Amino acid sequence: MTPQLPTPEPPSKRKLAVTTAVALAVAGVLLVTIVLPAEYGLDPLHTGAALGLTAMSTPAAAKAVEAPAGATMFKPVQDGPIGYYSAGYKVDSTVLKLGPYEYLEYKYRLEKDASMMFSWTASAAVSHDFHGDPGSGKGAEQSYDKKDRQASSGTLIAPFAGMHGWFWENPSGETITITLNSAGFYSSAMESRSDRTRRAHELTAPMAPPAASGTK
Amino acid sequence: MTRRTSIAIALALVFSALMPLSAHDDYRVIGVVTKVQTSKLDVKSKDGKNHSIKLNKDTFVNRDKKKMGVSGLKAGQSVVVDATGDSESDLLALEVRIVPPVK
Repeated sequence: MTPQLPTPEPPSKRKLAVTTAVALAVAGVLLVTIVLPAEYGLDPLHTGAALGLTAMSTPAAAKAVEAPAGATMFKPVQDGPIGYYSAGYKVDSTVLKLGPYEYLEYKYRLEKDASMMFSWTASAAVSHDFHGDPGSGKGAEQSYDKKDRQASSGTLIAPFAGMHGWFWENPSGETITITLNSAGFYSSAMESRSDRTRRAHELTAPMAPPAASGTK
Repeated sequence: MTRRTSIAIALALVFSALMPLSAHDDYRVIGVVTKVQTSKLDVKSKDGKNHSIKLNKDTFVNRDKKKMGVSGLKAGQSVVVDATGDSESDLLALEVRIVPPVK
């Protein structure tokens, strides 16, 4: 024969209502003082600020990316797929007239591993040699692309420090116009012509982006 | 004469002998043939200058990359001359291309 356990008396309806009300009140207080400031940044009672919870609701402040040690304005330091420089790139846009049977070279000074992107078009096909010159004398030049072309677009990562650019020759008896646009981490640009004239071209910083709306 | 002086003079002579080898520059002359001789070509360039350019057995005279020889050159032809020398008045033609006239 098993003993009969006493069945506890159920709480009265009043007691249940009071307990529920107290639990709801505690939950409400926790919601307003802790959860809302921490999760959503809502802090009506300033308890989040006092407890240091509001910082949890804001995204981590963006840290300024600093160039790794060794990076300069023109020489990158590689970090995975990214090459970091200590300053911004330059842009260049120029129109070059090439008289009948004349040639010219247009080159940028790039440090090893520095990059640039380019697009050029000519009004007619030209003899063309995209090459680099480390400046260590004749025969040291390295050709990257040598064929007749009327246009070309691409990117270059300099395989060595030196002057990198194009030899263009007009094979015809009529004047040809070449339009070149580029952007890159180059330090200078030099134009050399078959009549032995040389001219440095000024490089510029890219246009500043328009101010974001709402900022002063 | 001391030994040091002798060495300095010897070095100076060696450098002076090597200097002309490295002084040549490349020139391009575009113009019209005015006179042809076996070892000399006269060309009037588009800027009006007259150039007298030496020819030798290694000068490659061609039209559309086909070898012509000096005998293929005539007064009145349009030519592109790639030459080497110390100055415009002392040029040796490496290549003479006969080309269609400038328009």
